[in-house]
Amino acid sequence: MASIKNTQSKIKHKLLSWLDVAAITAWGVVMLKYWLTGKLNLLIHPDYFWLVISGGTGLLIIGFLKGVQVWKHRRRDQPPDNQQHINIFPPGWSSALLLTTAILGLMITPRVFASQTALERGVTDLLGATRSQPQSFRATVRPEERSLIDWIRTLNVYPEPDDHAGKKVKVQGFVIHPPELDQEHLVLARFVITCCAADAYPVGLPVQLPDSRDKYPPDSWLEVEGQMITENVANKRQLTIKATSLQEIPQPKNPYSY
Amino acid sequence: MINQLNNGFTIFLSLLVEAMPFLLLGVLFSSLLLFFVDERKLVEMMPRNPLLGALVGSMIGFLFPVCECGNVPVARRLLMQGVPTPVAIGFLLAAPTINPIVIWATWTAFRDQPEIVVLRVLLSLIIATTIGFVFSFQKDLSPYLQPTIVRYLKFNPPPTPETKRTKKRPLVEQEPTVNILQSGNYILGGKAGISTRIGATYNQSNVTPVNANKTIKDKLLLVLDNVVQELRELGGVMIIGSAIAASIQVLAPRELILSLGASPVTSILAMLVLAAVVSICSTVDSFFALSFASTFTSGSLLAFLVFGPMIDIKGVGLMLSIFKPKALFYLFALAGQLAFLSTLFLNLHVM
Repeated sequence: MASIKNTQSKIKHKLLSWLDVAAITAWGVVMLKYWLTGKLNLLIHPDYFWLVISGGTGLLIIGFLKGVQVWKHRRRDQPPDNQQHINIFPPGWSSALLLTTAILGLMITPRVFASQTALERGVTDLLGATRSQPQSFRATVRPEERSLIDWIRTLNVYPEPDDHAGKKVKVQGFVIHPPELDQEHLVLARFVITCCAADAYPVGLPVQLPDSRDKYPPDSWLEVEGQMITENVANKRQLTIKATSLQEIPQPKNPYSY
Repeated sequence: MINQLNNGFTIFLSLLVEAMPFLLLGVLFSSLLLFFVDERKLVEMMPRNPLLGALVGSMIGFLFPVCECGNVPVARRLLMQGVPTPVAIGFLLAAPTINPIVIWATWTAFRDQPEIVVLRVLLSLIIATTIGFVFSFQKDLSPYLQPTIVRYLKFNPPPTPETKRTKKRPLVEQEPTVNILQSGNYILGGKAGISTRIGATYNQSNVTPVNANKTIKDKLLLVLDNVVQELRELGGVMIIGSAIAASIQVLAPRELILSLGASPVTSILAMLVLAAVVSICSTVDSFFALSFASTFTSGSLLAFLVFGPMIDIKGVGLMLSIFKPKALFYLFALAGQLAFLSTLFLNLHVM
C-alpha cells in the first residue's frame, strides 16, 4: 500500500516538474514569438525589445536546463525541496496558470488599440497629454513632411493655432468619430506609447471634411492632405486640418508612435 | 465588449512581457545571493541600530538592481536569513527606486528636470527608512508575517544582537548561532542534524543530507532549482496581479483621473491612485510619468514615482507571500501618507 502511495507521489512530482519546464519554456517561446512575428511593437516600446528578447532567451535556457535535469533524474528519488520556498498555491496551480496564459498568448494575437479606446482614454481633449519635452523635435522639418506626432509636438511648443494656419499638411492616422463633433469633422489620431501598451495614450487633430464623415468609418486608416486652418471645433478654438484629399491606407506595420 | 476584452488582454500581455524579464532578473539575483553570497557575513554586517539599519537596508538596492517585481524574492530571502526587520523593510520599499538602473532611467526621462531625479531618490530613501524604523518598534513580527515564514524563523532564529560582550566571547561559544544562521546550508544539505530536524517539521522525511562541500556544478543545479521554484510561484501571482491591473485600466475611465491633474491636492491623490492602478515596473515608470508631465503638477509626478515602486497591485500578490494583509495595509497606508504629505509640501512651497 505504502509503495503504491510512494509511486503515485513520485509520478505526481515528475508531472509537476515537467509542468514547470513547460510553463517556463512556453513563456520564453511567447516572448520570442512576439518579437519574431513583429507583434512586439503592439505591446512595448522598441527601446525595451532587447529586454524581452534576452528575457525570453533566458527563460528558454532555464526551461531547457531544467528539462535536462528532470530527464536525467527521472529514475531517481524525489530531490529535497527548498524549504525556504513558500507555497501559497496548491502544487502545480501556479505553473498551470503560467502555462495557460502563455498558451493564450500564443493563440490570441494582441490587437492594436482602436478609436473606442482612444475615446475612453480621453482624446476628447483633442490635443491630449503629451510629452512636455519633445525629445526628437525638429522645427526645421517642412510642414508637409511632419507626422501627426510632429504636429502635436510643434503645437506643444508653439500653442497659438494661428501660427500654423495656412501650412501644408500630409499626415497619417486612424479615424475617430467623437460624439461632440459634427458630421463634417472627424479626429485623425495616433497612439503614443512611452513604455508599454499599459500607458498608450492617443493624440490627434480634428479634420474638416469636404463631405460627411460617414464615408470614413472609425478605425479606418487615412492619409490626409490639406492645409492647416484655425477653427472653432466643439466650442474650442483650435488648429484643424482642412482636408483636400483623403486616402484610405492599410494599417501601418507599426501603428504606434513614440 | 469584445473590443474591451481584447484591449484588456493586450494590456495584460504588455505588462507581463515587460515585467517578466525583470522578474527573471530578480529571481536570478535572489538565487545567486542565496548561493554565492555569504549570508552570514551579510547579516553580521547589518547594523543592529534600527534607524541605521533601515537606512542601510534602503540602500542595499544599489547592490541589487531589481524593480518591484524582483525585490520581493530578495527581501523575503533577506528576512529569512535573519536580516533585522528594519533592514528588510527598508530594502523592500526602497530597492525598486534606489538602484542604478532606475536612477539612470529616471535621468533619461527627466533630463530637463534634474530635481525630479534627485527628489525621487531622496524621498524614497526618507520614506523607506522611516517606515523601516517604525516597524522596528514591533518587537515580535510574527502576527504580521505569513505563518510559513514565522515557522521558518522559529526554527532558524535570527542572530541575537551582537553586543560588545558577545564579541569578546571565544569563537567556539558562538558556534551554535553561526550554525543556525547557515540556513542556506540546509538547501545545500547542511549538517545532517539540522536538515533532519527541519525536514521533520515540514513533514518531508525523505530529505537526504548532503555534504556541505558541494561542487560548483551541484551549486549551479541548486540555483537552477531555486530559480524555477521562484519563477513558478512569483510568476503565478504576477499573472493574477497583471490581470487585475489590466481590468481596472479597461474598466475605470481614465479621463476622470486626468481631469483631476491640475490642483495641488487632487493631482497627488490621482497620481497615487494611478501608481497603484497602472502597476508599471519602476525601471520604466519614469517614461510613463513623463507622459503626464504637461498636465500634472511636478509634486504629483514625484508622488507617482515614489509611491508607485513601493506598492502596485501586481506586487500585492508577491508581498502577500511575506506579510499578512494587516501588515501590508500598514505599509501602504504609511507609504501613501508620507508620499502624499511630502509631495504636497513640495507642490505648495517649492515647485
